Amino acid sequence: MKTKKMLLLLTVFFSLYSIQQVKSQQTGLQIMQKVYDLPTPKDMQAELTMTLTNKQGEKRVRKLSQFISNDGNMEKKIMFFISPADVKGTSFMNWSYNTEKDDDQWIYLPALKRTKRISSGSKGDYFMGSDFTYDDLGDRHPNEDNHKLLREEILKGKACYVVESTPKASGHMYAKTITWVLKDKSIGLKRDFYDANGKLLKTLEMKKYENINGYLTVLETEMKNVQRNHATVISLANVKVNQGIAGSKFTERSMTMGR
Amino acid sequence: MKQIEKKLAIASWITMVMLILGTIYFVREMKNNAHMETDLDEYMPKTHPAFVYSDQAEEWFNINDGILIAIENPQGIYNTESLSKIKDISIKLQEMSQFDENDVMSLYTADNIVGSEDGMDVQPFFGDSPLVGGMLDSLRNNVKSNDMVFGRMVSTDETVALIVASMEDDAFTDDFYNEIMTFAKSYEDGQDKIYVAGRPIIEGTLGQLGPEDMKRMVPIVMLVISLVLLVLLRSFRATFMTLSSVLISTIWAFGLMAAVGVPIYSVSTMMPVMLIAIGVAYGIYFYNHLNKFFVSNPYASNIEAVLHTVKVLWKPLTMAAFTTMIGFFSLLTSEVYPIKFFGLFTAFGIFMAYVLALVFLPATILIIGNKKRKIKINDDVETYTLMNRITDKLLANKKIVYLSLAVILVVSVVGIQKVWINSSFLEKFEPTSEIAITDGFVNQKFGGTSTLNVILESDDYDAFKQPENLVLVDALQTETEQLMKVGNSFSLADYIKRMNKVMNADDESFYSIPESSEMIAQYLLLYEMSGDPENLVKVVNYDYNKLNVTFQLKGDDSKTINEALAVIDSFKTKFDENGIQVKYAGSGYKALIFSDLILEGQIKSIIMSMVLVFLLLVVMFRNLKAGLIGSIPIVVTALISFGVMGLSDIALSTTTALLSSIAIGIGVDYAIHFLQNYKVYVRKTDSRHDAIHETMKHTGSAIFSNALVVIAGFLVMLFSVFPPNRMLGLLVSMNMFTSFVGTLSIMMILVYTTKVFLRKGVVNEKQKKFKRKNN
Repeated sequence: MKTKKMLLLLTVFFSLYSIQQVKSQQTGLQIMQKVYDLPTPKDMQAELTMTLTNKQGEKRVRKLSQFISNDGNMEKKIMFFISPADVKGTSFMNWSYNTEKDDDQWIYLPALKRTKRISSGSKGDYFMGSDFTYDDLGDRHPNEDNHKLLREEILKGKACYVVESTPKASGHMYAKTITWVLKDKSIGLKRDFYDANGKLLKTLEMKKYENINGYLTVLETEMKNVQRNHATVISLANVKVNQGIAGSKFTERSMTMGR
Repeated sequence: MKQIEKKLAIASWITMVMLILGTIYFVREMKNNAHMETDLDEYMPKTHPAFVYSDQAEEWFNINDGILIAIENPQGIYNTESLSKIKDISIKLQEMSQFDENDVMSLYTADNIVGSEDGMDVQPFFGDSPLVGGMLDSLRNNVKSNDMVFGRMVSTDETVALIVASMEDDAFTDDFYNEIMTFAKSYEDGQDKIYVAGRPIIEGTLGQLGPEDMKRMVPIVMLVISLVLLVLLRSFRATFMTLSSVLISTIWAFGLMAAVGVPIYSVSTMMPVMLIAIGVAYGIYFYNHLNKFFVSNPYASNIEAVLHTVKVLWKPLTMAAFTTMIGFFSLLTSEVYPIKFFGLFTAFGIFMAYVLALVFLPATILIIGNKKRKIKINDDVETYTLMNRITDKLLANKKIVYLSLAVILVVSVVGIQKVWINSSFLEKFEPTSEIAITDGFVNQKFGGTSTLNVILESDDYDAFKQPENLVLVDALQTETEQLMKVGNSFSLADYIKRMNKVMNADDESFYSIPESSEMIAQYLLLYEMSGDPENLVKVVNYDYNKLNVTFQLKGDDSKTINEALAVIDSFKTKFDENGIQVKYAGSGYKALIFSDLILEGQIKSIIMSMVLVFLLLVVMFRNLKAGLIGSIPIVVTALISFGVMGLSDIALSTTTALLSSIAIGIGVDYAIHFLQNYKVYVRKTDSRHDAIHETMKHTGSAIFSNALVVIAGFLVMLFSVFPPNRMLGLLVSMNMFTSFVGTLSIMMILVYTTKVFLRKGVVNEKQKKFKRKNN
């Protein structure tokens, strides 16, 4: 009799527990879906400054002008180096597909006067020696992870949801990420990345954002690799959206023009 | 008398109890706190400018020593199984918490920068799927045509592949050593042989063998010393007590080390043997005097005997102990911490042995009693005649003695020129030991297991994007690689050359530094975009004004490193013209600086102990002449010792550097005993002839038995697994012998001829013929 009661109690307990789980997962997913669904412009151009700081405190500052267009199926991006002087005119183009297809990448080196294809490597590769991987820079579909709302808390005076995302597929470079999402704007304020061993690897912080022509645009982010003691700040200036950038901007010929 | 008896008995028991409690305390300290220090960096003074700079450069460029795992397959490594082992080992190492992903380098993790008409690719050499058939051939061709891996990750004969896992020194523990050895060896089978080498492994092996060696040597030295003691003391009880006292002093010395948190360094593993060999001499003195008293007073009580013995013994024993301690204290002048600590704690152990001889041994007599032994009268007569004959012969042939000494000294001075210092940690091992064989194998197949880092610094930003500077770096590498013992080198220039070739359709004629700095800058940017930028961190800083050029050397000894440095230094003026400074870093270079410190410390401690011993002699005898004469045997001993080292190619190392101070400290005892007794006799007889014969008879034989014990003790070190320890044992034994012979020959003659201690106005000396005594 006693055992039966006990079993019943346990069953009730576990069903309640799973409901709780489902509920929080839905909420977590909903939050992340909202972030993902934020409207993005068809094209964008900006002046990008990338500042890398190593553990000795030495800095590498690069200025580029960047053009991006996205038609929903593929994202085309072209970047022209403005400084440092010895790489001025170097350009980099990336075509990223919504399908399984690997990215196509080209680089134009003015000193060599030739455009070369370069291997795209994997999504886990770091972008241009920065602390961002190609993956970090792109948007990850919420369906790829399990989400769990951990708590709600105030970060930098702003109310946030704290969501833990764990990849569904194994072998991902992060064991999990924890994201602080602004409650009222559905935009990520901070994200912690944990490595495959579950140790904190990197911290991403959004430093500045603005509403540009109706699009919430992040103007400055900082990614800190706490294990390597290395940091990258990417900031955008002169942002223009939906200017109708011509398709010819994203060609090998355009790359050789230097801007 | 009863009163004193009671008091002494109580004092004896208190002494015993205190000693036992103290010993228990120190044994517990040893058990709980003692640990072996194997991180070789810990052996070096942290504040020395060269080390400070090197540590800084190691931080800039992530320079760490690596564990090398080599897989050998005599049929060639390009087969499915061997390659999948390379992959498995690489992945498992990366998963270990001690390594970062970027710390592991192998054919599996390496970037293959390849070119085509179309562009440039940075690819892995092989992926996760097993390699079969034609893929093996194409991999082989890819490796062969890539200088960045061929000869580095795969041997040029294609039978060995290398996996390098670099790690912070302090991440290495004894447990991890065992873990990595077991892990690597688990991949060994009939087909593939596995070798594990590299500096962390050398350190680990040292950490394992050191304490083992110590554990093995202590019983041997105990056995040998017991036998010698039994022969000299002819009593089991006295032998046992003497051994107990030296054991207690050894335990206290190690216990104190553990209690104050000083780790056991490889040199400290020699402490027990030394303390035992030196300490038993004090026990011998005690029992000799005790027995002597019983011989002349057969019916005396134990208390009388003990009181008398302590009374007559404490002065000469204090002198002997303190001069020996001075020898060890002089090691404190060394900047090398293990040597400093060795000196300090051995001195403490000797102090304990000295205290125990005056406190513990008397207490045992009072508590347990003394075994009366048969008195042999004829003993002394024989010694007497023998010593008499020797003395007369020597005095009659002074010129021959002087001449032969002169010849020996000249030869020694020639030999001293040849003394060289070896800071090699590898050469602490037997050439036939596994670690030495493995290291030799990896050295033969690859660039080398030791590294030397050349750090180039300029004040100008982007200095190392300038072609003229990189061309110079390339020339530096090429010329240094000409040396036999320099395997290969690696720098930013290698990346640039490889990319220049690849970006020009793999045309070999482009394997060079391009002519424009823009081209170099753009190649570097290209590499950052397509390769792993962490790789560049190891060769150049962010401002492109600090460069790390790594040379692989096939040895960590001073000769090899100095040869490389000589070539590199010859480029200094050229670099200087371009505003670039040449500096050095890395474990190989630190080892070299370390060896200079050893030499410096050696010279300092010799001068220090000589001066102190000389002063002590002058003060003790209140006689300048006595100080000078007394110093002669040890000066001669030191000269001969270094001469022999030079002539027989024995290098100075952290181990053998201890030699001269030890030799001076123990050797001077003989001179002190001799002079002390001679002074007493000469004052008594007013005849230097009588006095010298008396001294030779009594003190000569006492010195002989002391030398015998110490030599026997140190010869035990011949059983050590470490060749330098064996050398040290041999050299100390030799030094004891030269001190002994020197004191009884040249010093004896000088004492006689200089008429030291002889009162002025004593003229009737010649008439006082030497009389034979038969008591």
